[in-house]
Amino acid sequence: MANSNLPRRIIKETQRLLSEPAPGISASPSEDNMRYFNVMILGPTQSPYEGGVFKLELFLPEEYPMAAPKVRFLTKIYHPNIDKLGRICLDILKDKWSPALQIRTVLLSIQALLSAPNPDDPLSENIAKHWKTNEAEAVETAKEWTRLYASGA
Amino acid sequence: MELEIPLTEKEGKVSTITSLDSDILNSATAVKRAVTTTGVRVSIEMKQEGSQEPEASALKPETRVKEEPDLGFEGKESLKDDMSLDVAEGKEVNSRMSFYEFLQATNTRVVRVKECLNTQIIGAEKPKELEIRVKEEAGKEITVEEPDTYKQEGKSESKLPLFPEHCEFNEGKSDGFKVNGVVKEVKEQPKDLRITFKEESDVCEGEVKSESNQPRVFQKNIRGMTFKEYCEITERKSNGCTQNVRVKEEPDIVVMEKPTELFASYSRRQKPMNVTREMVEDTRINGINVEDGDFPEEADWYLVGRTMVTGLSTSKGRKLVDNEIVHFVFPNTNLRFNSQWIVRFSTKRYGEIGRLPMEWGKCVVPLVNSTKVKVLGRCIAAPPSLHIMQEIMLYVSFYIHNSIFTELDKSTWRLETTSNIDSTVYPLLTLFKLLKIKPYQKAEFTPGELNSRKRSLNLEGEEEAAAMLSLTKRRKVCQQYPEQNKDEQAISESSLNKLVGAADIYNLEEMEPPSSLICKLKPYQKQALYWMSEAERGLDAEKAAKTLHPCWAAYRICDERASSIYLNIFSGEATTQFPTATQMARGGILADAMGLGKTVMTIALILARTGKGSTESQESTSNKKEKTWPKAKGGTLVVCPMALLGQWKDELETHAETESISIFVHYGGDRTKDSRVISGYDVVLTTYGVLTASYKSDLENSIFHRVEWYRVVLDEAHTIKSWKTIAAQAAFALSSHCRWCLTGTPLQNNLEDLYSLLCFLHVEPWCNWAWWNKLIQRPYENGDPRGLKLIKAILRPLMLRRTKDTKDKAGRPILVLPPTDIQIIECEHSEAEHDFYDALFRRSKVQFDQFVAQGKVLHNYASILELLLRLRQCCNHPFLVMSRADSQQYADLSKLTRRFLETNANSAPPGQTGPTRAYIEEVVKGIRQGENTECPICMEYADDPVLTPCAHRMCRECILSSWRAPTTGLCPICRTLLKKTELITCPTEDKFRVDVEKNWKESSKVSKLLECLERIRRSSSGEKSIVFSQWTSFLDLLEIPLRRRRIGFLRFDGKLVQKQRERVLKEFNETEEKTVLLMSLKAGGVGLNLTAASNVFLMDPWWNPAVEEQAIMRIHRIGQKRTVTVRRFIVKDTVEERLQQVQAKKQRMIAGALTDEEVRSARIEELKMLFR
Repeated sequence: MANSNLPRRIIKETQRLLSEPAPGISASPSEDNMRYFNVMILGPTQSPYEGGVFKLELFLPEEYPMAAPKVRFLTKIYHPNIDKLGRICLDILKDKWSPALQIRTVLLSIQALLSAPNPDDPLSENIAKHWKTNEAEAVETAKEWTRLYASGA
Repeated sequence: MELEIPLTEKEGKVSTITSLDSDILNSATAVKRAVTTTGVRVSIEMKQEGSQEPEASALKPETRVKEEPDLGFEGKESLKDDMSLDVAEGKEVNSRMSFYEFLQATNTRVVRVKECLNTQIIGAEKPKELEIRVKEEAGKEITVEEPDTYKQEGKSESKLPLFPEHCEFNEGKSDGFKVNGVVKEVKEQPKDLRITFKEESDVCEGEVKSESNQPRVFQKNIRGMTFKEYCEITERKSNGCTQNVRVKEEPDIVVMEKPTELFASYSRRQKPMNVTREMVEDTRINGINVEDGDFPEEADWYLVGRTMVTGLSTSKGRKLVDNEIVHFVFPNTNLRFNSQWIVRFSTKRYGEIGRLPMEWGKCVVPLVNSTKVKVLGRCIAAPPSLHIMQEIMLYVSFYIHNSIFTELDKSTWRLETTSNIDSTVYPLLTLFKLLKIKPYQKAEFTPGELNSRKRSLNLEGEEEAAAMLSLTKRRKVCQQYPEQNKDEQAISESSLNKLVGAADIYNLEEMEPPSSLICKLKPYQKQALYWMSEAERGLDAEKAAKTLHPCWAAYRICDERASSIYLNIFSGEATTQFPTATQMARGGILADAMGLGKTVMTIALILARTGKGSTESQESTSNKKEKTWPKAKGGTLVVCPMALLGQWKDELETHAETESISIFVHYGGDRTKDSRVISGYDVVLTTYGVLTASYKSDLENSIFHRVEWYRVVLDEAHTIKSWKTIAAQAAFALSSHCRWCLTGTPLQNNLEDLYSLLCFLHVEPWCNWAWWNKLIQRPYENGDPRGLKLIKAILRPLMLRRTKDTKDKAGRPILVLPPTDIQIIECEHSEAEHDFYDALFRRSKVQFDQFVAQGKVLHNYASILELLLRLRQCCNHPFLVMSRADSQQYADLSKLTRRFLETNANSAPPGQTGPTRAYIEEVVKGIRQGENTECPICMEYADDPVLTPCAHRMCRECILSSWRAPTTGLCPICRTLLKKTELITCPTEDKFRVDVEKNWKESSKVSKLLECLERIRRSSSGEKSIVFSQWTSFLDLLEIPLRRRRIGFLRFDGKLVQKQRERVLKEFNETEEKTVLLMSLKAGGVGLNLTAASNVFLMDPWWNPAVEEQAIMRIHRIGQKRTVTVRRFIVKDTVEERLQQVQAKKQRMIAGALTDEEVRSARIEELKMLFR
């Protein structure tokens, strides 16, 4: 099985994620592919995503930890740095990746991104525009989407 | 039944209808009516009514008649309205109904039910059998004497009503006529049928007056017939029985308007009515005539089929009469949710009556909206008084427009593209299913078969019984082509690995390679050649062109004018053009494990079947799409990663006889744009990059896509594993006769990888994402084993995969690798070593026991591992541990602190603060206490840690490999730019360098190793050796004796950058002198090929045996010519020995087989074991 060739680091990270999960975050590896994680992030309080449960998928590429994990939102979310396919605009997932980062830190960063949307570095132009021109309304839409798509059901 | 009417003839005899005047119908007809209960005015049923209570009905006419004038008036008005509506539809009448036709129908029935038929019908005063209303203005006469002399003077051109065949149903108080019909020998001589219409109240007999521009509606009633009879009639008509030909040729709709005056005169006669009272009232209230009549054949609309549909009522009351025509109302397409599928039906008289069941709606709505299909129906049975949601039997006819058969554009007729199979109904397919039209040629496999094991509710028997359509079942063409192997299910597949690691024995024939191939093929390669040639041959072109594509089924519809309709049972596409098997995949996936020679096999195939100039079947593929320009015919296109381009060229040139094939490399700056140039070569080599780029810019007009290739080969086909990428799309779009994927890893991460390959191979229906997703991907992800079973079945004919473990027929491995010889060399510590180890062990054990006593084993895991690390290192060489001796450590650490502080004072830019003094002191204190932190990158307590100027600690190898440049990079923790020279080696190895050189002493393990190496050298066999250790410091130590003994060696560890690594490996492969390679276990990436060596020395057991296994695999692989000797060194009675026992357990833990809790306790147990 591919899992027996899993680098020790991934095993360790997995064990730690399971035994000491970060608050508001759960990540569990898929049974048949230990490099594939099903992730759930709770919408941070004080954010438009509060109360939402967001599903993500995370995949550790062959080169991990020398290459960043691939993360994507599965739940629809209204956020200037997340596009409709769930792709996330986050520097540490791209050029700012460091092998010292881990699954846990990546997910915490994503959680933080939910708290602090950054419309100046948008992935979704429309949403970013919305955010910049009428933040209150954009936040409302984000809340609405959270209710619609991330209400946990 | 008692018969009041004396004029009855004997059963089975010809009935003579001398007169069709109304009250005639007293003949007893114990008609087995399938449906109706409410009697109406006409024909057979009338008879029954009449026979049942002739007295009663005779008493009633008065009442009834009184109300008639109104009715007549209203009826006229609304009729007119309807007419104008119909006119507005603006269609030309091309079919009309005639009396004659009607009579045919009735008579047919009469004959049918002859056993109870006593149809001596004598003219009565009131016409009931046939009621004809003539508009008052009209004054023309119709006399129907007999068919041959059928005249209709008042025939008029009229507009097509909403439903072309619909006939205004006259409720039957039409009194203007007496219809006298004589039917003689109906059965034998239908032509003798004679009908006379007699207009009693007025002047002439058999006269019909009609307004010239008013459609004349002939009313006819087939009520009272059994359903079956009805069907027979309709069928006969549709089959164009001679009897009816005439009628069809001269169809006519006759409107019989009832003149009020006539009515008045009629009413005087006070004829007994055989109509149930309620019915009459109903009719009057609404004032619209009941519509019925037959639907005539039309030139443009071909009958697909007729069937009974059970609708549900949505209204209450007495609304339907049997045989009444219902009109269907189709919803707007843009309605949301399910309402878009609701088909309602209504009658002219009452408006909405009910709706069709959803299953019908779903298929009918899209079809009708496509304007290619129309639906007509009538009621055949309904409860006399409707309640909501009651069943109404409708008899519905479906017609398809002939444009789909005649249009020049033979493109497939697709109603909608679908993304979600579950919710998609393929309308035409469903319709055929519902109509019980069976394909006369079935598809090879059906979604149903593939879908699940569960038996679909296949009511075969009933289907037969209900099938009213005579479908000629033609020969079933049997095809021998890859189809599901039922035995496949028996083969268990527990894991995906096994799925593609197809280890079963291939029993293939061998094929001799062409003489132009220079190298010699191994038997399994000849088998591959045979397999590939067979796969390319597929069905031969001629046969293929006549063979129905396995995904398509052929249907023939009811109407004989129509040609066959072909439906793709997977995609729902419909076409009238014969879908041939030529579009099917030819080729497959050659998925032999790396190193079995896929390239050579492919070259052999190319040489065996160049395709250029071969007559074989290229024509058939090219006519598939007639482009505006003809595609140039090409040879073989090989697409490979750039790195392999040169290798392909070399191999083609070395393996193929010169001049046997022409090769063209399409790569580089000035590439030709002329597809004729590249199509002129036998083999064109290019890269995925070039292919993608040209597809990106020119799409289907790219140089590659303008060529009709004979064969396209994708080397390392997993490059296109993501099917959404342009690279993949570019590959899919290539047009080729044969397609091949070469890959050692058809599945890399995901089952989806395979999907992309199937797309490229054009394997239907699996190259349709929806099907793939539904039947394979989703079941697989949900853990449904059928997903895997299915994909295995699909791959079986498509994929050839052998590994080096695959056995041939005789059970021998197809590729014989030299054996491995694994020896465990047990060393014994010398007395001095033993004492040292003992002391260390005792000290460590005290510490460990302390942790255990405190219950803090796991909290001090790091410390414990550190203790173990020392013990393990001690087994290799005491120097490794001694170097950490406390006394020396302090000195180094002070130096280290100083250096830190200096560096930071000097280098930190003003804005950026380096690590604070306090932090540095903390770090140094940690080091001083012997605390080994975990490397943040590999998360191990690794050896050879370095410190960055920013005071972060990690393995040297880890940080260096994280850098892109060899000498500089960012700190993984804080992103400070670092240089390699700035890294501070933690104070471990520095010291023994000073001491060990001078005080060198071999440990017992080192002595054993050297013994072995000396022996190998003495044997002068030229064998090379690789020495693995986890600790680079130990490799450092080993260098000393090797140098002293003048054993040439090379070193390979994490300190080397990529280029150096390559150089070292190259040197090791080529050199004669340096026969030993010192290698750190952790170093060396994927795909290292160390087959130059045949001796492996594993100096220290690793926690995870799989790592050792991998190390061995680098040497013992394809290309290895010698026996590989593996020697593992274990020192007796030490932690190493116990570590061996732990390994087995460890394996389970690593595989994640244990729960968290188990891991914890297991860890403690394991540690306890080590310190025993």
